[in-house]
Amino acid sequence: MSATGPPGDARPATAAGDVRVRGAGAAGDARPGGGVRVRVLGAVRRVVCLVALPALLVLLWWAVSGSSFYLPGPAAVGRAFAETWFSARLLDDVLPSVGRLLAGYALAALLGVGLGVPIGSSPRLRATLEPVLEFFRAVPPPVLVPLIMLLAGIDTPMKVLVIVSGCVWPILLNTVEGVRALDEVLADTCRMYGISGMSRLRWFVLRGASPQIMTGLRQALSIGIILMVISEMFASSSGLGFTIVLFQRQFQIAEMWSGILLLGLLGLGLSLLFRRLERWVLAWYHGSGAARA
Amino acid sequence: MLEIHDLRKVYDGRGRHVEAIASVTLSVAAGELVCVVGPSGCGKTTLLRAVAGLLPVSGGEVAVDGRRVTGPPPGTAVVFQEYGRSLFPWMTVRQNVELPLKEKGLPAGRRRALVAGSLDAVGLADAADAHPWQLSGGMQQRVAIARAVAYEPKVLLMDEPFAAVDAQTRADLEDLILRLWRDLGMTVLFVTHDIDEAVYLGQRVVVLSASPTTVMEDLKIDLPAARDQLTTRSLPRFGELRGHVYRQIQRARAHHDDARGTP
Ligand SMILES: Nc1ncnc2c1ncn2[C@@H]1O[C@H](COP(=O)(O)OP(=O)(O)OP(=O)(O)O)[C@@H](O)[C@H]1O
Ligand SMILES: [Mg+2]
Repeated sequence: MSATGPPGDARPATAAGDVRVRGAGAAGDARPGGGVRVRVLGAVRRVVCLVALPALLVLLWWAVSGSSFYLPGPAAVGRAFAETWFSARLLDDVLPSVGRLLAGYALAALLGVGLGVPIGSSPRLRATLEPVLEFFRAVPPPVLVPLIMLLAGIDTPMKVLVIVSGCVWPILLNTVEGVRALDEVLADTCRMYGISGMSRLRWFVLRGASPQIMTGLRQALSIGIILMVISEMFASSSGLGFTIVLFQRQFQIAEMWSGILLLGLLGLGLSLLFRRLERWVLAWYHGSGAARA
Repeated sequence: MLEIHDLRKVYDGRGRHVEAIASVTLSVAAGELVCVVGPSGCGKTTLLRAVAGLLPVSGGEVAVDGRRVTGPPPGTAVVFQEYGRSLFPWMTVRQNVELPLKEKGLPAGRRRALVAGSLDAVGLADAADAHPWQLSGGMQQRVAIARAVAYEPKVLLMDEPFAAVDAQTRADLEDLILRLWRDLGMTVLFVTHDIDEAVYLGQRVVVLSASPTTVMEDLKIDLPAARDQLTTRSLPRFGELRGHVYRQIQRARAHHDDARGTP
């Protein structure tokens, strides 16, 4: 038996109905009428919503500040913020901290996903390893700092290692769960059509597990920030965590507060970036409604 | 082309022991189109998955193209009953159809032609850039059919592939399968619960008994080779064959109920 031609060669008489594609963003596309004015008003309202609560909090802060030496007002902290962080400290303290955070986070992601895929794929590996992994996940990562200091010294490798040791667990366990729950009909489809090896990993396993992997990555991000600070508080001569402790010891209270503010802003920025990434990676997931199911 | 000899399948779950297929012997010659019908739950999907090499069998043997099946035989495509779950939701329709062709190592130009041709054939040329979840159930099913067809398989296994489409589309797709089958010289095993469809499409219709399953009848369909929705279906012989298969399935179910002791 031989193939005599591609299936499309002879145009069929199968005009199988008209093709309607349900719009993914139908709701988003259909803006209410009214044009520019409505859109501007909408934008204004959104900005007001965004700014209202922070503004209220600052107002509250301003109202209660001054009552204590330890609680300087917004103006003082703002001044300290500009003086402290828009200076050499940006290069000497902030950037190295953020760099270590990103390095540790990336390593943890690589390790977590790299180990999670084989463990999730093999029921036997999973059964043996899962209790142990849950145990490690349950150990609060800060208690590992003294131990890691013994093993890796007090320099950058130690700090990165601390971040890795905390971030890897949620990524690993979520990846395992995601790979375990991959759809078996899709797995059969891959087997049938010879989709194996790297293409299977790339087009099926990683994409299929991506909702859970992203959940793990999101949890790991906040853990990473905490560990970045803690690793610098123990034994260090630079970094954000170190600087905040230093200010506290030297009773530079406004500067200390400005460091806390900076950490908050850093966390906020990273989580906004992450949300961007997530929306891009999981567009299909949110679109298909699987996220809501 | 397809040799199924004394196939047996027992599902052994925790505390559940289901003898799905007692013994099925069946052979399909190269280039033949055989339809399989039987009551719901009789093991049609099980049989198909065994032929596809996706299921370890409990006994007997399946061979495709002279080789014993231990895993998916090369050059075999399947349209799964769970069509919705067999499409990758993170890919567009085009990518879904193209991926198997990429794995096959076809050059880009050829892939494009095959994808466009098969999507056109199922009437989905306009939906190539949509994602599966943006399509209706029937459209998803047609994408799965397009993917199987673009693959240019030697053996095509289909599990109730037209269950989710309307009558008109169904008729169109039936004719599409007949045309592709003739053009490409494929061997087709077609599972359906629709007796009309089985008689209309098949050169043979295999009637399965209720579970534990055996072949109740292997019926040759002696209708003219050129099938047409209107003329073929209005032939007196078509009505006879249809009635015959219908009675067989009734008998299969009655027999099953007797065996269970229900009146
Ligand atoms: N994975 C499984 N584990 C246990 N039992 C199963 C499994 N798959 C099928 N069965 C059982 O095997 C029998 C045959 O199932 P199968 O899906 O092959 O039937 P079918 O003829 O395709 O039915 P339908 O027409 O409804 O699709 C049923 O009794 C079913 O409960
Ligand atoms: Mg079935």
